[in-house]
Amino acid sequence: MELEKTINWSNDALRMRFKNPVFKIAITHLLAKKRQTFVAMLGVTFGIMVFIFQAGLITGFQDTFIEQTINTTANIHIYNEPDRNRPSILASIEADTTRWITVRNQKPKDEKNKIRNAYQIIALLEQHPGVAGVSPFLGTQAILRSGIVQYGGRIAGIDVDKEDLVFHVSDYMTQGDIQRLKTINNGIILGEGLAENLGVKMNDNVSVIATNGTTLDMKVVGINRTGLTEVDRSRAYISIRNARVLLNVDNAYLTDINIKLKDINEAEQLAMEFEKRFGYKAEDWKKANSNIFGVFKIQNMVTYLIIVSILIVSGFGIFNILMMIIYEKLPDIAILKAIGYKNKDIKMIFMIESLAIGITGGLTGLLFGFLLTKFIGSIPLNIKGFVSMKYLEFNSSPAFYIFAFFFALIATALAGYFPARKAAKFDPVDIIRSK
Amino acid sequence: MKNTILETISLNKWYRDPVDFQALKNVTLQIERGEFVSIMGSSGSGKSTLLYVLSTLDTDYTGKIIFDGQDLSVISPNRQAEIRNEKIGFVFQFHYLLPEFTVLENVSLPALKLGKFTHDQIESIALEKLSLLGLQDQAMKKANKLSGGQQQRVAIARALINNPSIIFGDEPTGNLDSKNSQNVFDLFKELQHELKQTICIVTHDINLAGQTDRTISLHDGEIVKP
Ligand SMILES: Nc1ncnc2c1ncn2[C@@H]1O[C@H](COP(=O)(O)OP(=O)(O)O)[C@@H](O)[C@H]1O
Ligand SMILES: [Mg+2]
Repeated sequence: MELEKTINWSNDALRMRFKNPVFKIAITHLLAKKRQTFVAMLGVTFGIMVFIFQAGLITGFQDTFIEQTINTTANIHIYNEPDRNRPSILASIEADTTRWITVRNQKPKDEKNKIRNAYQIIALLEQHPGVAGVSPFLGTQAILRSGIVQYGGRIAGIDVDKEDLVFHVSDYMTQGDIQRLKTINNGIILGEGLAENLGVKMNDNVSVIATNGTTLDMKVVGINRTGLTEVDRSRAYISIRNARVLLNVDNAYLTDINIKLKDINEAEQLAMEFEKRFGYKAEDWKKANSNIFGVFKIQNMVTYLIIVSILIVSGFGIFNILMMIIYEKLPDIAILKAIGYKNKDIKMIFMIESLAIGITGGLTGLLFGFLLTKFIGSIPLNIKGFVSMKYLEFNSSPAFYIFAFFFALIATALAGYFPARKAAKFDPVDIIRSK
Repeated sequence: MKNTILETISLNKWYRDPVDFQALKNVTLQIERGEFVSIMGSSGSGKSTLLYVLSTLDTDYTGKIIFDGQDLSVISPNRQAEIRNEKIGFVFQFHYLLPEFTVLENVSLPALKLGKFTHDQIESIALEKLSLLGLQDQAMKKANKLSGGQQQRVAIARALINNPSIIFGDEPTGNLDSKNSQNVFDLFKELQHELKQTICIVTHDINLAGQTDRTISLHDGEIVKP
């Protein structure tokens, strides 16, 4: 029969595509407006790409900072907080306020930073089940001088073995060896930035001048780089014994006790416990860096604001193209309704259109965002900010990509919903009458 | 014995905008199965309005419409869509084909919505309807590549695909020249004779109306007795 022959015309591909007319109608609409569809898609692509790049950069940076902070600084830090509101010593003995009395240096000197019974406290802390390690610490400000160059620095007097055990100092040595603080009598290890500023290399001599005037001539036995710029630019390790000589203090003198925990998440609660128990200020790492975490929060907010605004703009792009298609295709809508397609079918057509734009735009955005981070991440930049790193570290966790993609889907679905609902509400009689 | 497919009782229809205007006044009529009915009347007499009301496209009326034993005034919009899909075929003055789709696809649209047959079956039914209208050679062409007369015949094939209980035509030949008009009209007559298809069309053309079984005349929204 002639019919048979005609049936052979139709190929399988066409059959597949036409199984669901709603789907094919949607795709046909988009293909009839290739350029506008492409532009709307680009909007989504751009939004997602910027998000992947920007948020990846910022959280990557934040993660690096947090990781380096956790690895190289104390999880809890116990110290003697100088009492700022201490009443005047004379006020208690001299009630007559009509006379002027001048007291110089009421603020205690370094001596007052001392933690009493520090070594007993350390022994107790080492027994604590939540504590992984404890390192005694004697810190002071000092001036470091090499020739005529001088810089202020923070001297860290440490117990080499304990400090290394707790803070893995040897992992961050770029030159020299931390053990040489023990073997070389007047050894000093400088932060990379500090050494650079002073213009000194390994085995050079550096003078360390304490606030009381004591001067030690020391020899550079190592250079150290944590990646935390501020730390690397100011810290110098010396042995705790030399630090006591520098400050001219007794053999049990400590200013800080640095604690590494087994579980970082217990820091806040354990800090409170230690503060109560030992009567000294105990600060956890989050509180110590609270200003930086505040900055992180603002950074994250800005990132989300950026993606939200880009997606709103691309949402308008999708809204526009859908409205354009709808008004152009009013006759299609009218006849589809007349021949029995329901409101939800009509709505579906335009939702498919917006989601098709969202999905293709979103996926290409993820791809381009990924490629961009890989490309930028492969350029050696030697950045020095809060943290210093050779390459930009991007957060590229899958959760991040999934989130971005769903965000694109939700934004485009929203942008498509209102035109789709409008299309579904058109009265076919009105359309047919106006033809 | 009479076999009524469509019956109305005292249909009244008002337009509220821009002014209150009664477009249908107490319209009571019956259409029998297999009948070919024409509706005539001057422009503005309410022919289109009546057709849209009869076919569930317009539900803002008072009175009763019994279609195929069912009271149309008490069913949901979704059910109305289903009735239009399954039991009603439409042919308008304009063809309303989807221009980017092939003739075959256009004809298949109502059947795909109905979903009663497999895709292959729908395709062969569509081809069958197209060959009935002498369009089998055009099946794979894009709808916008056809002539006006051909497009209107495709629209008729589309109206036929689900074997509807009735076909409504609102001036289906209004855009065609007299030769094409007569062709399309002959097709309707053929459908009536060969498929026992019930047909109800609005026309201006007294010559065409004269070829139908019965003519309903409207004047200012009222049926006038012949
Ligand atoms: N949507 C509408 N709003 C107000 N009046 C309308 C509307 N549609 C039609 N009318 C009026 O109803 C009357 C009947 O119109 P119609 O049914 O289209 O007549 P016909 O098809 O016989 O030309 C006309 O006077 C027309 O102006
Ligand atoms: Mg009319």
